[in-house]
Amino acid sequence: MNSWFDNALTRAEAIDDWLHEKRAASLALLRDTDWPTRQTEAWKYTSLKKLEQLDFSAGTPAPSINAHSISDLNSINLVFIDGVLQSIPADLPEGLTIMPLAQVPDEHQPWVLDQFAGVKPPQHLFGLINDTLATDGLVIDIAPHVDLKHPIHIIQTMTAGNEAHCRTLVRVGAGARVTVIEHLTGDQESFNTNFTEYSLATKAELEHYRLALQSDAALTIGGSHFNLDTQATLNSTIVGYGSDLARIDVDISHQGEGTLAKLDAIYLLDKQTHFDLHSNIEHTAPNGTSDERVRGIVAGKARAVFNGRIHIHRYAQKTSAELNNRNLLLSRDAEVDVKPELEIYADDVSCAHGATIAEIDQLALYYLRSRGIGLEQAHLMLNFGFINELIDQIPNAVLADWLRQQLSGRFTRMNTIKHSGQEMAQ
Amino acid sequence: MLSIKNLKASIAGKTILKGLDLTVNPGEVHAIMGPNGSGKSTLGYVLSGREAYIVEEGSILFEGVDLLTMGIEERALAGLFLAFQYPLEIPGVSNLEFLKAAVDAQREARGEPLMSSKEFLNAAREACKAVRLPTEFLKRGVNEGFSGGEKKRNDILQMLMLQPKLCILDETDSGLDIDALKLVADCVNSQRDAKRSFVVVTHYQRLLDYLKPDYVHVLSEGKIIKSGGPSLASELEEQGYAWLDRQPGEEKSL
Repeated sequence: MNSWFDNALTRAEAIDDWLHEKRAASLALLRDTDWPTRQTEAWKYTSLKKLEQLDFSAGTPAPSINAHSISDLNSINLVFIDGVLQSIPADLPEGLTIMPLAQVPDEHQPWVLDQFAGVKPPQHLFGLINDTLATDGLVIDIAPHVDLKHPIHIIQTMTAGNEAHCRTLVRVGAGARVTVIEHLTGDQESFNTNFTEYSLATKAELEHYRLALQSDAALTIGGSHFNLDTQATLNSTIVGYGSDLARIDVDISHQGEGTLAKLDAIYLLDKQTHFDLHSNIEHTAPNGTSDERVRGIVAGKARAVFNGRIHIHRYAQKTSAELNNRNLLLSRDAEVDVKPELEIYADDVSCAHGATIAEIDQLALYYLRSRGIGLEQAHLMLNFGFINELIDQIPNAVLADWLRQQLSGRFTRMNTIKHSGQEMAQ
Repeated sequence: MLSIKNLKASIAGKTILKGLDLTVNPGEVHAIMGPNGSGKSTLGYVLSGREAYIVEEGSILFEGVDLLTMGIEERALAGLFLAFQYPLEIPGVSNLEFLKAAVDAQREARGEPLMSSKEFLNAAREACKAVRLPTEFLKRGVNEGFSGGEKKRNDILQMLMLQPKLCILDETDSGLDIDALKLVADCVNSQRDAKRSFVVVTHYQRLLDYLKPDYVHVLSEGKIIKSGGPSLASELEEQGYAWLDRQPGEEKSL
């Protein structure tokens, strides 16, 4: 045990609101859970030491800060500072309802109670902690067949000396289309947990982003979790910078027939940062497709952890699932720990996975140099191209441009460039 | 401009060029024809400095300077340009970024001021127009998802932007339909002047009909076995390469 966890449990006990039953159930599970050690499989490569001694419960007043809105995105912005929602825009488009988690009207409570800890699986320790502590957050409801032109942009900023626990629930109605951007920022010493649960009804389409751009001393643990009903479509992009402690769990559950999920993840780490992505894709119904591509550049003494699980259940025939993870290591001290896990119980599926430590393509290098581009610059271009290839596929062009700018700026600042990686490792 | 003497080069231990001599003066267009496997592409790769190709013997002077001591990018900056038989796809690196980096490097090497973004964009758009590639292609990854013909035109676009002194076109005409072939030939012709030289590697006379080379050479088994004027190309087109094997003093493989 440790002081942070003890303290969290004590704080959790004091919370009594309309989600009380849900919170109590998770609290009971938590009490039966051992705090992770290096022997705990799900935390094998990620240490919680920095968190264990933290005490931010007193909080520090937030300085006034600008929301990190992205110009030209035409988004509906929802800004949290240290876990506190600033405001909800007044004139929302028809078919879109946004409520603070603490003030959900009676008519919405039944589905919210169903979805709260109903999409996110119970095995995530910090998910349970978030169940018990998250009093702030959002509930977003998109009515059936609504085609929302404006992305919903949830910006969460943490400032020094603060701790926050946020929960967001998003219900996408049948045939509705929406873009949701979860955008986390801040580099000051702080801790937040941030979990989001999405349910996609029949033929719903969700374009999802989790921009985990917290860095340096900002400790952050969270997850995005999705249930897909019949023929629902998810197109998700995750971007991670890594920090002293950064962990994301993604769960995608293909529950209806003929669902489609695309998950791209990019991480760009340097210094001594840490980024841990666990993804778990469950195919429980037939004819589902999942395509997961994870690419990272790791420099300095940074460490990336990627655990990608695909679980194809017995009745999920005709599933097509692909998982590909490629890493570029830019220094000898950089490390990546990769574990693909495939569990297949259906006999008529197509499934492929691969994880590699990538090498610079020598032919591409020659091509660039044959046009007069110097060796070092050619390396930089190809290295960045390695992740830019995924940025190029981001459906929202404005966001893609913005991200390209952010990531290339960050990449340029990472100056410990070494010229090659090593072949194959898992 | 270019003086190659007794060039012997190999790849993976196999000697491909077996004593090649070639002299190209400023403003000249030389065509190199020859059967498959005779070493035509190897010549381009060796000139460009591709690392897998090992020069075993001979010399190459480019504007009086020993080319073999220069790195790949140095050769490009000195004014040598190879249009590839199979231009590479580089997803993730946009055409625009690639072109800008190459043009910047050229201008820096020539001691010219760098182009502003606007100047550059205008020049790139003009070059697109010249090779009839939609300007949207500039935003895409280098050759990513381009058809064979589009890739070739993209290489020619680079040539237009980089303004090299010596252009080696390695079967740039293969895989092009008649219209595209004419377009590429027009682009090349538009770049011809008293200073700029071309070495055009091709299988077909068609491109040469448009380009009207000053010299035609036949490369066979790593050597130039016959040189002549433009009429040599039509003889080859009619009779193939077999008759050349009867030339006295030439080695012949089985």
